[in-house]
Amino acid sequence: MTRERFIDLVRTEQEPLRRFLLGLCSGNASLADDIAQDALVRAYVASGSFLGLSKFSTWLFRIAYNCFIDNCRKATLDTVSSESFEAQSVLSDEGTDDSFRYQQLYQALDRIPEKERAVIVLHYFEDHDIKEISSIMQIPTGTVKYLLSIGRNHLKEYLSI
Amino acid sequence: MNGKDNIEEFLRSNKPQVKDDPTFLLETQRRLKQVEGIKAEVDRQRTNGRIALIVALAIGILLGATAVFIGYVCPFDPENPGQSAFAGIILFITTWKQYFLILAAALSVFLTLLLSRTRNSSFCNY
Repeated sequence: MTRERFIDLVRTEQEPLRRFLLGLCSGNASLADDIAQDALVRAYVASGSFLGLSKFSTWLFRIAYNCFIDNCRKATLDTVSSESFEAQSVLSDEGTDDSFRYQQLYQALDRIPEKERAVIVLHYFEDHDIKEISSIMQIPTGTVKYLLSIGRNHLKEYLSI
Repeated sequence: MNGKDNIEEFLRSNKPQVKDDPTFLLETQRRLKQVEGIKAEVDRQRTNGRIALIVALAIGILLGATAVFIGYVCPFDPENPGQSAFAGIILFITTWKQYFLILAAALSVFLTLLLSRTRNSSFCNY
């Protein structure tokens, strides 16, 4: 795949990809964009292995999700506290009502495990169905449904809805 | 409306908004160019390595063939070396062979270190 072709494909997918990672990073926009850049470089290096068996977006999201997991492992090793993420998410939002609502949402997302967060973000923010989520996260559809259910319950509890 | 519907509605109506960032794609393109540079450098080094290997093999075969040829044309008897310059060279080599081996080993280590340094510095350009 040539660089121009790859950039063309990325142009249409960059917004959903960045939104997906923004949700995963609990509102930390700079971290989300860093992971997105990493994911795009990895995808470009591996573009020869993309056979078109799945949608380009599914393939790209899978790489982005793996990058996010790698980043979480690295962050755990570097003992980066989640408080720094929260502080940045508050600063990045503008408009008091929206800001407060997003802050609540991001803080709640930050409290749930990564897998639950990923399933919630893919299903409710990116409108992916269970099968696509299963393909992106490489887990069975039953596990996706289970994670979706407990993720929803956790969020309901943390958001007091 | 139950709790599940409430949370679903809340999540669907509060999708994170991504700020339009024109520098994102430019940064992506810049990184991809760097990746291409690294790929090209790796390919170039691989080609150079193959060429060096083929040249070393050819030189080895040539030197071996020359030595065999000389051995046939000018047979050397160690018991009766004679006074010729060729015999002198052969005697000199057989007398000091351990130093020649040490010198060859030192030279190969030096060349390995020199080549690896050159490769590392050329990678830093990307």
